[in-house]
This record gives sequence, structure tokens and C-alpha cells, in this order.
Amino acid sequence: MLSYVAKRLIWTLPTLLLVGFVVFVIVRLIPGDPAQIILGDSASPEQVAALRAQYGLDRPIFVQFAFWLGRAAQGDLGRSITDGQAVLPLLIERFQVSAMIVFIAVGFAVLIAVPAGLIAAWKQNSGFDIAIVAGATLLLSIPSFWLGLILLLVFGLKLGWVPVIGYTPFSQSPTQALLYIALPVVTLTLIETGVLTRMARASAIEVLRLEYVMHARAKGLSERRVLLRHVLPNAFAPTWTVIGLVLGNLLGGIAVLETVFTLPGLGRLLVDAIFARDYPVVQGCLLFTALIYVLVNLVVDLCYPLFDPRVSAS
Amino acid sequence: MKHRSIILSAVAIGLAGLIASPASAQEDTLRIRLNADIRSTDPGINRDANTDAVVLHMVEGLVAYCEDTSVGPLLAKSVDVSPDGKVYTFNLRDDVKFHNGAPLTADDVLFSWKRYVDPANNWRCLPEVDGRGLAKVVNVEAKDAKTVVFTLEKPSALFLTVLARPDCGETAIYHRDSLTSDGKWKDPIGTGPFKMGEWKRGQYIDLLRNDSYAALPGKRDGHTGGKAPLVAKVRFPIIPDSSAAKAALLSGGLDVIYDVQNSDIPDYKQRKDVTLREQATMDINGLLFQTRDPLLKDVRIRRALTLALDIPQLVETVTEGASKPSLSIIPTPSSYYGKTQAELPKRDIAAAKKLLAEAGYNGQPIKMLATKRYPSIFDMAVLAQAMAQEAGVKIDVEVLDWATLLDRYNKGDYQAMSFSYSSRLDPSLSFEMISGDKDAQPRKVWDNAESRKLMTRSMEISDRAQRQALFDDLEAKFRADAPMIVLYSAVETSAARANVQNYSGWALGQPRAWGVSLKSGS
Repeated sequence: MLSYVAKRLIWTLPTLLLVGFVVFVIVRLIPGDPAQIILGDSASPEQVAALRAQYGLDRPIFVQFAFWLGRAAQGDLGRSITDGQAVLPLLIERFQVSAMIVFIAVGFAVLIAVPAGLIAAWKQNSGFDIAIVAGATLLLSIPSFWLGLILLLVFGLKLGWVPVIGYTPFSQSPTQALLYIALPVVTLTLIETGVLTRMARASAIEVLRLEYVMHARAKGLSERRVLLRHVLPNAFAPTWTVIGLVLGNLLGGIAVLETVFTLPGLGRLLVDAIFARDYPVVQGCLLFTALIYVLVNLVVDLCYPLFDPRVSAS
Repeated sequence: MKHRSIILSAVAIGLAGLIASPASAQEDTLRIRLNADIRSTDPGINRDANTDAVVLHMVEGLVAYCEDTSVGPLLAKSVDVSPDGKVYTFNLRDDVKFHNGAPLTADDVLFSWKRYVDPANNWRCLPEVDGRGLAKVVNVEAKDAKTVVFTLEKPSALFLTVLARPDCGETAIYHRDSLTSDGKWKDPIGTGPFKMGEWKRGQYIDLLRNDSYAALPGKRDGHTGGKAPLVAKVRFPIIPDSSAAKAALLSGGLDVIYDVQNSDIPDYKQRKDVTLREQATMDINGLLFQTRDPLLKDVRIRRALTLALDIPQLVETVTEGASKPSLSIIPTPSSYYGKTQAELPKRDIAAAKKLLAEAGYNGQPIKMLATKRYPSIFDMAVLAQAMAQEAGVKIDVEVLDWATLLDRYNKGDYQAMSFSYSSRLDPSLSFEMISGDKDAQPRKVWDNAESRKLMTRSMEISDRAQRQALFDDLEAKFRADAPMIVLYSAVETSAARANVQNYSGWALGQPRAWGVSLKSGS
């Protein structure tokens, strides 16, 4: 087990190196100069050149990469060109915001989607099933920014139940924090519930067709026991894999929601950094996201045997 | 049952806390939206427009811009200029104290200046005072504790203008305690009406009232005049999304949006709880042409495009009627904006077609670059495309992100471009931003040697009438060459909640929290 984990982690290194290199090259290939953006349309060429030199942007790209890699290996991802902040602490601070919303939302989505999918599969082709499938399809078709804005207008503006902008960490005031993250969490929960319900339903239908389910029913077990004891654990395993992918995607990709709800998360940081051509922050964000993606999927794989004993971690 | 009542009580207390705390936190706090975080708190160094807006609430310069974009004294009681125009003597005010209680002295001016002119600090305006740009300061000395003398190599009509520029950090005077013991910038300890509060990066910047602020007599006048802080705290929440900002304002989570989108204006006008105020700024919007392009190097095609556009209609549509059309590179609020500048030729499709035919134009497509980052830039391009089509000119609009557009602008790598220039506060600077040698600076739009000489002359002479004559002459030459079509000076529309008293925008387009109060009970 330990050697498996170690092997997976070791394989992570070349992945991150490749991500780091590709990102490094790509962001520099995009037209647009951070020094020019900082100085604006009235800056003289000399001022732009001086600022480029200050950040080492006038050096050959491979020299820049070598410097960056050397520092990254020591845990130093550089400093933001825009405001001079150290990138790594900035990423960790912003990640906490994104992670809190994503974990809570995906947790709620699983709690709703798995039973809904199971019931839909159990009552396949009934009115109940059709309603759940239609609801799930509708939810996963709605763009998250649109749903977010609608919730913001209804619950923030019209009803005034929650504040429209702002953010407070849990450590500072749990009640305030809950109020601020309520709408983004609800938005994300609704969207992800759609995806996961479809997945859980499909898995459950597959399992319901298997012989051991028929055998269990033939033995005279109640439908409730058949569903909870035999169908749920086996149907949950493929859904679990999807949860891993969803988590990985969301942790780096909820920029739109973070923008709509004015949350200082990782996604918004990345988008702002791309617009500002803030190379160290863009590189740091994408590297960090890749790392999180790899780690989340490692944890998912390690937990898989808990839901499907046929799969061994070794 | 007992457990249930305990839980219910806890929930009730929690909810009461939730409802009560935002209200109490807002008491006497003016909240003004910023669309992006600031870059630093170091005046004129690592800055952008948002940074200038926030920092200039905390620090002040010897001189500052007045409402009419002239320059007036701020920390200086008076400024004496020698007859030869080379020696500027600044007499400091006696009543000014820094946020830490220390009195303002000539030594503080020297300390700040020394830091500005140290090339290691990358002060934005260093090239303007070291001989590369508008002036060369050869000596700065303290005559006594309250008098500082700046000596220039030769006279410059724009020396005070440079010192007062917001992007130069107003050449603000700050106390040496603004720096750490090893010389790094810490927090601004200035003389401004507000002092540094909390900066929660990516979320908000808080400024606190400077209770011992020594306000000048009289009314608020640009960045000078009476600047008394009336609210206990100013919060600048960072809200990138304009829809979210609008929702925040309408729900009472925000007090002022100082630059609302034109498309939102009709909606705000319907509301009684929001007050709109319009103010012309010094920003210039227009269409640029690459005069070295094989097609557009023919001035007849450029003139034809000017004649093909229904400029009043275009500006009306783009700005929702907020801005007036203007073909002058001198912004409408400028005191040099006169009759010559206000002249507006009529649309003439027949004349445009005639010019195009003379130039041998055969419907070759012209690619016009634009961005959606600033909706007006995109809208100008689309409307120009439609209007030019009536004269038989085919324009293809290509949309880029702002950083790429800026890159193409700087390289001169475009045929045509919809663009917006940030404020230039003197007509000489307005002409300077577009004129120059394209070989040396490809971003320059207008390459005309004779006009450059006139422009240089306008930077040296101080006589107002002579300068106006020069600008009128330049205007005529600019229109004849038509290297760009100026469409309008931007109008900034601010939206404030009804309880906000005395908020107004101004020509520089940045928010000002001094002199603003909140009416309680609203």
C-alpha cells in the first residue's frame, strides 16, 4: 500500500515538471507584456524595458525557466509581478476559499444525487424517474454564472436574505462565513447534483440488472435491503470516480462563480493573473491545480477498495 | 423538548447576530467599489489607476490638480517662479502634520524627492524630471525648514503639471517612517484626509479618517481645496463583475459605483434610491489608423472614413447619450477646448465615396482590432463597421483581449484599431501621446515632423494665448492628416445610494471620499 502511494507520488513529479514547462512556454507565447500592462498606454519604451529587466523578463526563456525551476524545487514559486506578493502563500490562502466552497457543495451534491439516482434507477421509466432525469438534465445544462446571478438577484437583491458581496473566513466568524458562501455553495450544489444524479442512476441501473441482485430478491430480501445492501455500494464505486474528477476540476475551475460572488478564490486569482500576464502567478496557479488534481485522484483511487472490494489498492 | 428549545434559541441568537453585525459594521463607513485590487500603497511606484485613486486619499503633494485641471497649491502655501522660469520656490504650509503627528518640513520634501529620483525605485515619472522628458531638475535644496527650492536646467511649462499628476503619485510627500529600517516601503504615513486601515488583498482596502487633518479653506476643488474627511471609514470593496457590483449597490451592500457601465444607466435612472451624476473626463476614445499600411497610408481613405461616420449618432449609441461627440484630441473638460476644437463636420457619404474612388479603393477589407474588456471599445468598432459600409468601405472587426490589444498598439501592428486613451491633463501631453517618430516609437499614431515642432514649442512656453494658438494650429493639421478619428471624451457616470451626500466625479475620473458624508437613517 505504502509503496503504491510512493510510486504514485513519484510519478507526480514528471507530470508537474511537464505541466510547469508547458505552462511556462505557453503563457510567454501569448501576446501581451506584463510590464506594458502595469505601466499603461503612456509609458515610454525605456520604462517598459526597465520594468522587464527588473523582473528578468528580458532574459532568454530557457534561462528564465531554469531560474524558476530552481526556486520552485525549493518551494519558492516567485513573486507576483502585479503586486509583489509571494506566490505560494497567496495560492494557499486563495485555495482555502475555493476548497471550502467546493468540498461543501460536492458533499451536499453527493448526499442528494446518490439517493436520487438510486431511486430513479429503482423506479426506472416511471414518472418519478422521468422527473428526476429531467431535473438532473436541466440542472447540468444551466450555465453556473447564470444560475449564480439569478440566485444573487432573488435571494440577495429581492429578498435580502444574504449579502450580495463579501467574504469572511470561517475562523473569523462562522455565521458570517456561512452567509457569504451560502449562494455559491447552493449554485455549485445544484449544478453538480445534476451531473452526479445522472451518473449514480446509470450505475445503479447497471447493477440492478446483475444476477446477484435477482438472487437477493429471490431469497426474499426486502427491496430496501436489496437497494441499500447490494445495489448502493456497487453503484457508488463508479460515481466515486466521477466525484474525484469533479472535485479536481472544480478546485481549479470555479473562477466564474468566484467572480460573480466576489470571492477571493484560486480560480479568480488565475483569471486575473492571465489578464494581467502575471506569469509567476499563472504558473503557480496551474502547477498548484495540477498537483491538487493528482492528489485528489490519488485519494479517490486509494479509497476505491472501500466501495468495491474487488479492486485492491496494491 | 428541552433540547429543541435550546437549539431554537441558539439559531435565533445566531440569526440576530447575522442581521445585526453587518449593519453595525457599516455605520459611518462609505463603501466605494473598485473593479480590481490596487498594486501597492507606494505613490507613483508600482501603480495603476485604482492604486492612484486609493493612495491619493492618504498622501498629498506640494501641488495638485484643481477641478478645471489647472494646478493649484496643496502642501505648498505658495509657489514662486523666478522670471527666467527655472527656479521654483515652494513655501510649505505651517499647519500640516503627518498621520504620526510629526509636522511637515522641508526635510521631508527632500527625503521623498530623493527616493523618487533613485532609479532603483522605478518612479513612474522619473523620465519626466531627469532630462529625458518634460524637464530636468538640476538641484533641490531646503532654504529653511519651510522652504524648498527646485532648480530646472531650462524653463518648462509643464513642471508643476508633472508634480501634480496622479500617476506620478502627486509626487506626494511622506514621512520617513513609511519605510522599514532597511529602506523598504511599509505603509503610507502621509498628510492626507485618510490613513491606512486594513488591506485584505483581493477583498477590500479600508482607510480611516485622519482626525487631525488640516483642511484648506473653501470647497473641494479637484485634488486640492477643502478635503475634510467626513466619514469615519472608507472601504473600497474589490468587485470585478459589474453585475455583482450593481446588485451590491441596489441591495445596500455598497454606497458608490464611480464608473457605472453605460448600458446600466437607463436602469439606474428608474430607481429612486440611487442618484446618478455625470462628469466629462479627460479620457479620449476613437479609431486609430496605421498610416504606414499600404491601403490606409492614403490620406483620402482616412478622410473618407471620417466623412462616412455619423459621429453624433455613433457616440449617442455607444454612451447611451452620456457623452457629446468631439473630434478633438484635446478632451472636452480642458480649458483649452475652444471653438476650433468643438467644430464637428457633417456626415457626407457622397463626398466619402468620391474620395474613395479617387484613391482607387476597391472594397479591400480593413481589419479593425477591438476588445470586449471595455464595452465602448467594442461598440465603437461595430458601429463604425456598419456606418462605413454605407460608403462602401468593408471593415472586419477582430476581438482581442486587452493585453493583446495593448501589445499590438505598442508595436503599431494593426491596420485600424478601436482604442481608449487614459487621461492626459494638458493639451501638449494629449498631442504628445499620439505624435512622434514611428521608427523610434511604433505606437505613435501621427508622424508629422512639422507638428512635432509645434508640440515641443507648446511645452516650453507658458503664455496662455500663445499656447491656445499653437493648439488650434495643431488641431487643424491633425484633422487634415486624419491619423485617427477622435469620437468623444468619456463621461464618467457615478451611481450613489440616496443617503450619500455630496459625492461627485471629476475630470480625472477617480473617486474622492473626502467631503462626502452619509445621511443616517436612510
